[in-house]
Amino acid sequence: MAATAIRTEGLTKRYGNVAALDHLDLEVAPGEVVGYLGPNGAGKTTTIRLLLGLINPTGGRGEIFGLDCQRQPVEAHRHLAFVPGEANLWPSLTGAETLHLLGRVQGHVDEAYRDKLVARFDLDPAKKVRAYSKGNRQKVILIAALMTRADLLVLDEPTSGLDPLMEQAFRQSIREARDRGQTVFLSSHILSEVEALCDRVGILREGKLVEIGTLAQMRHLSALTVEATFTGPVPDLSRVPGVSSVQVNGRVVRCHVRGPVAPLLKVLANADVTHLVSREPSLEELFLAQYGTDGQDRDARHAAR
Amino acid sequence: MLHAETAARAQGRVRKSPGAVVARLTARKAARSGVIWGYIFGIAIASSAISYTRIYKTQAQREALAAAYGSNKATGALFGPAPQLQTVAGFTVFKISMTLMILGAVWGLLTSTRLLRGEEDSGRWELLLAGQTTRKGAAIQALGGLGAGAFALWALTALITALTGLDSQVGIAAGPALYLALAMVATAVMFLAAGALTSQLAATRRQAAAYAAWFLGVSYAVRMIADAGVGLHALVWVSPLGWVEELRPLTAPQPLALLPIAVFTAGLAAVAVRLAGARDVGASIAADRATSRPHLRLLAGPTGLAIRLVRSAVVSWWAAIAVSGLLFGFIARSAGGTLSGASVQQVLSKLGAPGSGADAVLGVCFLLLAALVAFAAAGQVTAARSEESGGRLDHLLGRPVARSRWLGGRLLVAVAVLLAGSVVAGAFAWLGAASQHAGVSFPTLVEAGVNIVPPAITILGIGALALGVWPRGTSIVVYTLLGWSLLVVIIGGIGAVSHWILDTSVFHQMASAPAVSPHWAANGAMVAIGLAGALIGGIAFHRRDLRGE
Repeated sequence: MAATAIRTEGLTKRYGNVAALDHLDLEVAPGEVVGYLGPNGAGKTTTIRLLLGLINPTGGRGEIFGLDCQRQPVEAHRHLAFVPGEANLWPSLTGAETLHLLGRVQGHVDEAYRDKLVARFDLDPAKKVRAYSKGNRQKVILIAALMTRADLLVLDEPTSGLDPLMEQAFRQSIREARDRGQTVFLSSHILSEVEALCDRVGILREGKLVEIGTLAQMRHLSALTVEATFTGPVPDLSRVPGVSSVQVNGRVVRCHVRGPVAPLLKVLANADVTHLVSREPSLEELFLAQYGTDGQDRDARHAAR
Repeated sequence: MLHAETAARAQGRVRKSPGAVVARLTARKAARSGVIWGYIFGIAIASSAISYTRIYKTQAQREALAAAYGSNKATGALFGPAPQLQTVAGFTVFKISMTLMILGAVWGLLTSTRLLRGEEDSGRWELLLAGQTTRKGAAIQALGGLGAGAFALWALTALITALTGLDSQVGIAAGPALYLALAMVATAVMFLAAGALTSQLAATRRQAAAYAAWFLGVSYAVRMIADAGVGLHALVWVSPLGWVEELRPLTAPQPLALLPIAVFTAGLAAVAVRLAGARDVGASIAADRATSRPHLRLLAGPTGLAIRLVRSAVVSWWAAIAVSGLLFGFIARSAGGTLSGASVQQVLSKLGAPGSGADAVLGVCFLLLAALVAFAAAGQVTAARSEESGGRLDHLLGRPVARSRWLGGRLLVAVAVLLAGSVVAGAFAWLGAASQHAGVSFPTLVEAGVNIVPPAITILGIGALALGVWPRGTSIVVYTLLGWSLLVVIIGGIGAVSHWILDTSVFHQMASAPAVSPHWAANGAMVAIGLAGALIGGIAFHRRDLRGE
């Protein structure tokens, strides 16, 4: 399938004066695994519901494999499988009945793979949905999506409620999907999961896509963390070009460096450095850099209101 | 200073809040609907009383009415005994008591199962139990809250009845008015308790409501047999509806009958509290199999799923229709035997039963069956909406399923359910009538059965319209239309209501077959309104966002 898996142009959804999604321009190539990050209310689920045609955009448009999400939803859905954020299923059906129903509705099921997934996720399909825990209901909708071998997997917080063992089973299944050339659009709060699985990551903030790229690209654009330990006097690093967030703790200095590191190295070369560590930011640090390091920013904003 | 005030307020809240959170939440919800239904109850009583004074002005007219109904055991079986029909008080009790008793019971069982088992199903009950209460304590509080709802229902009913009684022509004193309101609300109280008990027994809210509804059906059937004049009147003391009947408001008050009502209510409430304390949250007393062999035959698409989901409820509902039809057919001949003569027919016509003999009785009976069928139509629409609001529809519409296919399938299933129910009604009414040699043919009664479908299709179509344009108001629209239509037809049968108002009732448009021939043109118009509503609603549903609760 040659067409772009997901393409949006100025996709916007407003609820009154609130922009749940604001002019989203996004392209996901076939075979890519793209992570979609953002805190609660950032617009992740809104994006997915717009792509599925469950809600209508206020502006812009979206396509799935070249098919318009609003005008051709049924045709578009033939190419995708969807895991919603809430595992609300029919309580009176069993797991097996639910998988059968959703498979028949989708139109294609790899039955051997379904059985493998049922074993991998340790699901008892004879149980009624009302008897399942939240995690087991989540397993049902995950298996229902994965068993279709759809060209595109659209996953909205797919591992909420899963234990660490099942989280590993999920990661294995996504790697298998990627190896088969399936495209995965993964909305998640679990940064380690996105870091482990995704080729590219998009970060959403208040309805706007503020960053998108590979982790390497995002790290390149972000600050390097440098920690130096001195035996003699600690030099003043705060005026070194590119250096910020300087923290001095005795003879240990920690700072961030953005851009070329040569100016910092020149200063350090003239000082008595006994220990030097530099590392790239993790996805968590990149994410928190967009939203503040902890709740302090939000607290400050609330206090200012 | 500020700290001191804040602390004092906080302490005040702490003293006031934790022990009664569940009671207050339940009371707020129950009282809200109690007020609405109290208003409806009060208006129904007031309209009946005032209309009687305006229509039956002479003593001769009143005596004719009493002659038609006063000694008729079969109409007594349907609507309860009819003593003192020559008085405003006697007529009012006869005209509205059975309807209000049943409406009250339905309100009671739906309210308590919604606020007990429904809250538990949704997971909100666990949040409340995490507060400063226990499972048993929360159940006691919830029952207290339901009591507040019942009080709201009684208070408004009593107020309107007492105010109506001030009219010199009506002339009902305050004491008897309050007693009448108490009698009308008594079934609601008993079925609040019954719903509380079935909420402990059943695994889901729907199942709990079904258990309580079956109990109501059995209560009605036992009371019916007791009042059928076949020498089994003692059975009236076996049925909760019979106890309320024995209160005999406005005619020959018998407050002693409050005793079984109070004991029964207290007993059910006590058992419900005990079971709530003994069982795990989310579990049920009745065995609920956690596992099952897969039954895949219907699960091939959204329409098959719709059939699978409504299957058990529909079978129960068809059974209720069949039993009702059988009983109605069974009493039609003896009920119709005393209904003859021009003046009596005139009176009957005003009561919404044109014609004579068994046909006239069956005409009224099929109106009751039409209400049952219309309730099923309303239930089908609200079930469709709950698929959307509960998020389950996302699983279908996020796959290659067109919205029109899903909604169209559900509406077709609903129409098929209604049509089959109507044929069941006609066939079983014929079976009952034929067993008594009532002389009403099978085709006539099947035709009368089909005749009750168009009002239900109108409700279905208007419900689909609401689903399309005002999804969160779907339930309000269908049940308001249904309640209004019933109220208008109950009051309007007396003849004192403007035809503009009468025309707003879907049941008023329906001919009282088999007493008269079905009005196929009017039926066609109702079906057309239903189709138009479904079409516009379908288009609106296709264009709008899916919306949760």
